[in-house]
Amino acid sequence: MDEHLITRKQFAAAIAVSLLSPLLRLLPQTAVSMAGRGAWLSPLPALIPVLLLSTMLESFRRHMRPGEGMGGLLLRWLGPVAGRLALLLFAGWFLFYGGFILRSGAERLVSTIYPSSGQTLFVAATILLCLAVSLGPLQAAARTSVILRAVLLTALGIVILFSASNMDLSRLAPFAWRDGAASVAGALPLASVCGVSGCFCFLSGYVEPPKNGRWLLGTHLLLLLLAGVVCAAVMSVFGPSLTATLTYPFFIMIRSISLGDLVPRIEAVVIAVWVCADFMLVVMLLRCAHEALRSALGLPGPERLPMKSLRSGRFLLWLEAAAVFGCSLLFDLPPWQLRMWSDRYIPLCSDCVLYGGFFLLWLVTLPKRKREEKR
Amino acid sequence: MRRLLLLLYVCLLPLLGGCGASLQSDRHDVERLLLIQTMGLDRQDGRLVMSVSSGLGPDEEPALVMSASALGIEDAIAKLQNYSPENQLFYAHVQYLLLGRTAAATDLKSVIDWVDRSPTLRMDTDMLIVRGSARDAVADTSEQATDITQRLASLERQARSTGWSVHTLREVAAALSEGLGALCLAVETTPTEQRVFTEQMQSDAVVPTGYAVLGADGLVEFLSPEQSLGAELLTGDPAGLLITVEGDTMEVLDGSARISGRFSSGGALERIEIQCMIRTGVLEKAPGDGLEPEALDAALSETVAGWVSGALERAQATGCDYLGLRQAVLGQAPDKTGLEDGWPEIFPTVPISVAMDGRVDRSYDLAE
Repeated sequence: MDEHLITRKQFAAAIAVSLLSPLLRLLPQTAVSMAGRGAWLSPLPALIPVLLLSTMLESFRRHMRPGEGMGGLLLRWLGPVAGRLALLLFAGWFLFYGGFILRSGAERLVSTIYPSSGQTLFVAATILLCLAVSLGPLQAAARTSVILRAVLLTALGIVILFSASNMDLSRLAPFAWRDGAASVAGALPLASVCGVSGCFCFLSGYVEPPKNGRWLLGTHLLLLLLAGVVCAAVMSVFGPSLTATLTYPFFIMIRSISLGDLVPRIEAVVIAVWVCADFMLVVMLLRCAHEALRSALGLPGPERLPMKSLRSGRFLLWLEAAAVFGCSLLFDLPPWQLRMWSDRYIPLCSDCVLYGGFFLLWLVTLPKRKREEKR
Repeated sequence: MRRLLLLLYVCLLPLLGGCGASLQSDRHDVERLLLIQTMGLDRQDGRLVMSVSSGLGPDEEPALVMSASALGIEDAIAKLQNYSPENQLFYAHVQYLLLGRTAAATDLKSVIDWVDRSPTLRMDTDMLIVRGSARDAVADTSEQATDITQRLASLERQARSTGWSVHTLREVAAALSEGLGALCLAVETTPTEQRVFTEQMQSDAVVPTGYAVLGADGLVEFLSPEQSLGAELLTGDPAGLLITVEGDTMEVLDGSARISGRFSSGGALERIEIQCMIRTGVLEKAPGDGLEPEALDAALSETVAGWVSGALERAQATGCDYLGLRQAVLGQAPDKTGLEDGWPEIFPTVPISVAMDGRVDRSYDLAE
């Protein structure tokens, strides 16, 4: 194995940690407001688009040359002009989305723990940290994500375990046909969250080749399982109607947890830990945007360089971080407007760019792929 | 470069201290924190009156009790803070939320909204409805040796062991958001002059008086103690309740209710059948021979069935399904959607029958 490549397990951990950020932003409130009592079953219908996405991404990966990511593939398949345009579009979306993630993460942190503080300080601190990690080797970020995945899943497990005494499972039932049909609507935000994993195929060139085509499926299944469990846990504590109206039901649920008299409240720790998911997603988005821009501008591949070096297109990372910070300032909105962006516009744009973009690419390059496969 | 970065990190470290001067403005000086443990709300002359009590301080310092009249909750919090500038009032450890009769009638929704948005208060805070004013409950029951929080903690322990349920704000909010009614323990304060003090003990200053019924808009009514006992049998765990039947004082040992719906061939709900079981033990027998065991069982069944019917009658009259009947029959309904959507119209008129199986354990008769 090439020692510069990150392992599939590390890559899966990076995807899982990054996707936990949008997952708990949209869950359970958005899913429950769309699906009602059936929200906890929404992962089942969400499997269909997620399976299609996994198949599509695997199909792209099979056509990548060693060390090539989505950037190289797009240029090869679409030609220099259309390929560059597509790359710029993807890079622009990654940076814009990164800005939104930073702002929504700061809003969550501020509104739940630091109500008197400004969000810009948190945004600035996070982007500086993300830039520092992005300038380092990708392996370091990937190794960190393995630790973060364990920390976040443990925190999630503790939260659900200690909330069990407040759960009333009868709130999840009885189940009418209407609830089953509504659970399909709740699948939309879940599919949208899993769609974000499409960004990561820009980093495929740095990952050791998988043994089979199911490498992404495991991560998606884990996320959908977590989504179902989180929805069921929060709904059984608050009931579907209250869950849909509360601002951050998952974090409000955490507020009621106490570990006896020893630790009366743990929400500050858990919410602070959740910043790690935002952090990892922004790091990965910066790297994905960097790969897209590097391919579009024809800049050389990565080298192991000191952090302060601006050679080999590394100056782009500084510009990207500035762009992400700039985009985050665009979202300096009142909480209800940010919520609207979070629930409607961002998932819609994300689906258009990632599901729509990749599907279009898959369709347009169908004859080319068949020719390549024949050869 | 590494040394420079290390130096930079070390210089930044002092900024991280949350308790002293730091960049973020949410810091709390531990020495100045005054933990509010009980909060009371009333509506008086169109203004919200918030009363708060801190716990007893170290060395038996009396609790700090304050009250402020304001336009809303945030305004009241700001005023209370001004009343005690030397302390920083901290609401993260509020244990009891008391709603006076007036606030419960008009401000319940805004209280739920405020707790949702508040980064400090918990949704799992115990909530009680005061039959009079919450301000009186907070202020008049705090004395040198004890305070309202201790009294409520004692009341809660007593209530739990004697079969009453203390509901949290979350439970109430969840039930109301489902379009059902909710029950909340109602309390009454005893005026100081009516209390009997001895050297060893003080009489209760706050006593439970049954349940208050809360609807979508707030307080609907107070149930009588008997109706409250009937409601408890249907919704909670009544073990520990003390009841009196034919002069005998009994403790409820066990009780349960099975609710089922009867549906027409078209799927419409025709009636609801409730089968209850109650088992009691006699604690104190009335003077005289008393009733035969079978007659006492029948008297118990008849008395408790009357209480349950009373609770059901009030639920139907007010349209507040605080007994959870919809949820109980929904699982058996052939047309769940129709029943769920039409429940507000169906519930007030659907016939409900109650069958009670009461049994009195008479262990003191064994010798006979």
